Amino acid sequence: MRTQRGGRHSQQQRQVRWPFSHPAEAAHGPAGARPEWWPAPIRPAWPMTAARAALLWGLVAEEAARRGGQVAAADVCAAVVAALPVSGAWVMAQGTAGAGHLMCVTDEVGEQLAELQMTLGEGPCLDVLTSGAPVLVSDLDEYAARRWPGFTPQAGQAGAAAIFAFPLRIGAIRAGSLGLYRDKPGPLTGLQFGDVLILADAAVVVLLESQHPDGTSPAPGVGPGGQPPDLARHRAEIDQATGMVSEQLDVAIGEAFVRLRAYAYAQDRRLSEVARDIVARRLRLNPDPDPPRISER
Amino acid sequence: MDGDQLTDAFVELADTMVAEFDVIDFLHLLTRRSVQLLDASAAGVLLADPRGELRLVAASTEAVRVLELFQLQNDQGPCLDCFRTGQPVAAPDLIAAGQIWPQFAAAARQAGFAAVQALPMRLRDQVIGALNLFQATAGGLGPEDVRVGQALADVATIGLLQQRGTRRSETLNEQLQGALNSRVAIEQAKGKLAERAGLDMDQAFTTLRAYARDRNLRLSELAQAFIDGSPADFPGLTIPATPRPD
Repeated sequence: MRTQRGGRHSQQQRQVRWPFSHPAEAAHGPAGARPEWWPAPIRPAWPMTAARAALLWGLVAEEAARRGGQVAAADVCAAVVAALPVSGAWVMAQGTAGAGHLMCVTDEVGEQLAELQMTLGEGPCLDVLTSGAPVLVSDLDEYAARRWPGFTPQAGQAGAAAIFAFPLRIGAIRAGSLGLYRDKPGPLTGLQFGDVLILADAAVVVLLESQHPDGTSPAPGVGPGGQPPDLARHRAEIDQATGMVSEQLDVAIGEAFVRLRAYAYAQDRRLSEVARDIVARRLRLNPDPDPPRISER
Repeated sequence: MDGDQLTDAFVELADTMVAEFDVIDFLHLLTRRSVQLLDASAAGVLLADPRGELRLVAASTEAVRVLELFQLQNDQGPCLDCFRTGQPVAAPDLIAAGQIWPQFAAAARQAGFAAVQALPMRLRDQVIGALNLFQATAGGLGPEDVRVGQALADVATIGLLQQRGTRRSETLNEQLQGALNSRVAIEQAKGKLAERAGLDMDQAFTTLRAYARDRNLRLSELAQAFIDGSPADFPGLTIPATPRPD
């Protein structure tokens, strides 16, 4: 599969493009650094709201519209670079045995960084595949060199000073990884970290849909619950139903999730409600070879 | 709660943190100890996700009616107030609390509870989640129990930082996401096992946990392996386990 080049790459830091901003960012710019006198209030770790998630998802959809195609991994990468002070981004899809292939990348340095990790078999993006947790390297220092002795020096030579890797996962569903790099060292702020997680959610759905194409699937631009982003809430029943459907249809867990979403979309019902029916055993998805038909009990 | 119980619990938690460590198993142990030490009926650890939504990562019971009470508090309830303010929030009498949280109080009472307490999980200036306790009798926690409860909430926060890392705040963010993701995998595994073996979700969880403990596996790793593997890989897993005392 040909790697998509999406998004723009720029030498300088990118401004957040929409009016919504955290008070700290509005006062001190996108880096979000607080002066000493700024009071440190007791606040949630990520002051995210559903509205912000909707904005970020909208940015992805905007990128796709600009490109003139359906939402793809390249649009998520472009949105990441547009929304955050990073120099580039890439998405790797997970293969059946470890790191798979590069789905998209925004610039040449990013491409080098992604390919280095696949060639060397080491690096933050590979660690996240096994750990299921992000790996944030705000400075490619001696700690990074100890952790990735082959990758770190070459990454520095390629032009990276900071790398942030995010797993693209929903529980046991492993779709791949999202990588970001910066040509200057420095951490992501809590707000920026939260932004990437939201965009990573979109990337997971995009990757899963591309791996299990189903003509009836809803657009990735809708929230993870299958409804408008501001209503989407995580529900344990959705995860449980995904496991049940995996068993019922005898398919891998990733495909089970896609089929569940597709069913809810085709029935014009909320994913959480369909999930609740499945968990309560009021509804069962049955395998059917040709073409897929769903029976309700 | 007597002094020995308290000592034993903290020694056990400390031991877990220095040994082969899995954050989900650790938090699960913490909720069960919280129930014993604080004379509660149920306890849960909730963490905030990127949308600011409080999500359950570990609970002392997997009974659906109780899990629903945790999920409900994203709209209203002591956990939400605790999370937003960073302060402990108590409802010693859920009948009276119906004036503040009508839907939540009604649901909690219907589930058989009479009092609820939420304690913030704080790290410096961040609130990352809450320890939520339910009691069957009204009255609430006394000041000493609140202190112990807050210490348990703090231990839960420290537990999240347990994995090696140099940069504290980055490590916390990384670990929070890992814990949230692990819980999702466990829910998926519950569903798959419930379907395969004809169990309800509570039984499925108990069975997975017992299987993991018997083979010295991390619950989150078992969940992943079970979902990825075939039935032949897990002989005996479909035999339901009965809840055992810890």
